[in-house]
Amino acid sequence: MRAEGNPQGGVVLAVAEVSVSFGGIRALHQVSLEARAGGVTGLIGPNGAGKTTLFNVITGLEKPTQGRVGLGGTDLSGMPPHRRARLGMARTFQRLEVFGSLSVRDNILTGAEFHRSWSRHADDPGSVTEEILDRIGLRAVADLRVDAIPTGMARLVELGRALATRPRLLLLDEPGSGLDENESEELGRLLVDLGEAGMAVLLVEHDVDLVMRISERVFVLDFGRIIASGSSSEVQANPDVRAAYLGTQPADVDDPSGPGGGGA
Amino acid sequence: MSEFLTYTIIGLVTGCIYALTASGLVVTYMTTGILNFGHGAVSMVAAFAYWQLTVEWHVPVLVALVLVVLIGAPVFGALLERLLMRPLQGKPVELQVVVTVGLLIFLLGLANLAWSPAASATRTLPRFFSGHSLKLASVFVDYHSIVVVAVAVAVAVGLRFFFSVSRTGVAMRAVVDNPDLAAMVGARPYRIAQFSWALGAALAALGGVLLAPLQGALNIDLLTLTVILAIVPAVIGRLRSLPLTVAGGLVIGLAVTYAVGYLPPNSFVAKAQTAIPMVILFLALVLLRQERLRSGRVSGMTLARAPSLARSLQAGVLFIAASVLVSELLSGVNLATATRGVVLGIAFLSLVLLTGYAGQVSLGQMTFVGTGAYAMAHLGHHGSLVGALAAMAVSGVLGAVVAVFAVRLRGLYLALSTLAFAYAMDYIFFDQHFGPYGSGLAVDRLHVPGLDTTSDKGFFVLGAVIFAVASIGLLALRRGRYGRRLAALNDSPQACATLGVNIAYTKLAVFSASAALAGLAGALYGGQQHLVTSADFQTFNSLVLLLLVLMGGKNLVSGALATAVLYALFPVLQQHVPSLSNVQYVLVGLGALTLGRYPDGLGGHMTRLRELIADRTGGQTASLTLEGDRLVGADG
Repeated sequence: MRAEGNPQGGVVLAVAEVSVSFGGIRALHQVSLEARAGGVTGLIGPNGAGKTTLFNVITGLEKPTQGRVGLGGTDLSGMPPHRRARLGMARTFQRLEVFGSLSVRDNILTGAEFHRSWSRHADDPGSVTEEILDRIGLRAVADLRVDAIPTGMARLVELGRALATRPRLLLLDEPGSGLDENESEELGRLLVDLGEAGMAVLLVEHDVDLVMRISERVFVLDFGRIIASGSSSEVQANPDVRAAYLGTQPADVDDPSGPGGGGA
Repeated sequence: MSEFLTYTIIGLVTGCIYALTASGLVVTYMTTGILNFGHGAVSMVAAFAYWQLTVEWHVPVLVALVLVVLIGAPVFGALLERLLMRPLQGKPVELQVVVTVGLLIFLLGLANLAWSPAASATRTLPRFFSGHSLKLASVFVDYHSIVVVAVAVAVAVGLRFFFSVSRTGVAMRAVVDNPDLAAMVGARPYRIAQFSWALGAALAALGGVLLAPLQGALNIDLLTLTVILAIVPAVIGRLRSLPLTVAGGLVIGLAVTYAVGYLPPNSFVAKAQTAIPMVILFLALVLLRQERLRSGRVSGMTLARAPSLARSLQAGVLFIAASVLVSELLSGVNLATATRGVVLGIAFLSLVLLTGYAGQVSLGQMTFVGTGAYAMAHLGHHGSLVGALAAMAVSGVLGAVVAVFAVRLRGLYLALSTLAFAYAMDYIFFDQHFGPYGSGLAVDRLHVPGLDTTSDKGFFVLGAVIFAVASIGLLALRRGRYGRRLAALNDSPQACATLGVNIAYTKLAVFSASAALAGLAGALYGGQQHLVTSADFQTFNSLVLLLLVLMGGKNLVSGALATAVLYALFPVLQQHVPSLSNVQYVLVGLGALTLGRYPDGLGGHMTRLRELIADRTGGQTASLTLEGDRLVGADG
């Protein structure tokens, strides 16, 4: 069960047998997965597989019909979103949820100020903001209003804003869409760095190459069920995954980007 | 027993009219997401038009019915959709609310111009089949009542059939569930929206024509207000379910009638029972299943940047200096009007904070102004500062209490809960405690050491100083941490929650602060008027207040002042040029109607103008959007 490139850290996020139904339709069925500290965990699956629903359940925006979510051993059942965030999780959104009327800098600053308002050991929001602006490479556009910048950049703003709360678990919902090849390369490096710094990163991404390259472990979601999990190479070799998800592009799958990907 | 039967029949007939008109509200809301606050005014105009045709011009009843209900109203509804409602799709709730409130005010003004209220007693509509009645058990039921029930049943059955069988009806339901999907499979949302507005207006007209003969002489306000109550059953139906809406209509009709019939006839009860529908509305809203957090939206508004502290201080000092000058130049009525303008300006500022900065809608802000005046009247003897502080405290606490119930609601439902609260307060509190029948409540003027506020000049300057201080305070708040928090809450509550913000608490705090500011305005307003009556703080004024704030540019302190002075001028205009008394409402209504296309209001126009001038003169204040575009070009 455990991948070869054994993750260094302990389990930060534990999702146990979560099911969600809307009306009669099952969006998630008995989904279990975990994300460990010190690395990137990938979550892939076709459109409508339930990835965003799972993020909503983890962050408390949606209630599961069944199952539990734990963060660092704490059971989060019934906890409202803001209390979950205060335990150390932050996320980005597939459909952008930026503060459009604020500048790029103020978006991140607001995240840092929120952090300061509920955390006893938060650094000065101003300096946190400047550090993050450099880190995500948006200093050049820092003073522009976010609803005036391209979508790809706005996704980075959401990433920066999430980082400003110093989370131990970072949930990223397609951060790479709208980025060009160089930019997504850079994003990959940033995520690996974050992992190495001890964070647990759960990454939902359409760019399968990117996920395979940087993830310690990959989960595959299809029609609301986890159909495979393991190291990149294990997942790529899994016939179910090929059939359900990657089957349409066998060339991509066979192209090995190295066993275990870029795991440390 | 026969008494009970009589009440039941009256209640059912009233309930049928609520059911009918509420169905119209639901049909339009379902397909366009806009709740028409002008629905009652459409009913009223239809009833008057029908009177004009049948009684004045002797047009046969059937022809008049066809002209009003089947032709006039649907065409009007379709035009409304095309001209006003289409640009409103996907816009913030407060805009959708005030544009239809604008429609309400516009139609009220128009009706007052066309059918002068002075002659209202002579305008009566005969009941259908007047003089005929049927004996039911021990009670006589007139044919008109039977017609009302029959029409309501026919419409309910017809709508049910329409939505389950006909192509258009099924397409309309599809639009509710998913407009994009409906567009893909060939149903055209605009066409459907237009049809639903036509249908909604026809139902409103039908309700008006059936209701008017029951109310005696035609009365513009009474007709409009009665139909506005149709919002209650519509909300009971969750603005979606027609069967629940019809049931809600009947419940309201019966509840009101039984209350009139059986409650002891003392004056408190007589007033309070009028509030029953609104109390039911409040309960229905609070018991609504909690919605999911609304996701962010593209604001699409040109929000002017808050000026720096230095600049706002400068402007504040200039403003105070100017008002000292004005106080020397003006006297009598003119000075009183100017005072009312700056004092009401403070109430307008409270909405700039709540709606402009935090994006929360209050349709009952005047209520908090009123409770402030009340506190000042009782605790501010000889202008004691205690009165002003109590005004802020009382209104602030009341705002927090409302917020406790309201903050879990969002958007339109939040707005409606404040509306229900304000309406209930009209009848339960203001009509009871501000002197019987408008005799009023005396309020002393706030006294400040060093300024003779007993003189009109001194009090005007005091009002101006407080307005300036409040404005500078708000601007400072907007530039700072708290302002960013409110902007964030406005832009994406969902993101705020996942960043650790307790949204309910933040909303509660801003509601309370805004109500406290309104309370302060009320304390001063009372002092300016000397005598305040319940009419000063009625819910209708709250609607006008929100409308004017949006017209001024909802997050602009200067816009608030401009429209507050305009508002203060209304009564003066009315006094000097009586023929203008309704033109002003027509104009304000028209102004609000344009907000659908120009959501930034006057302030937005000014901002764009400034940017244009800066651009022409090669200044550095080019709009951010332009810079953004250039950036995309350079980067991509």
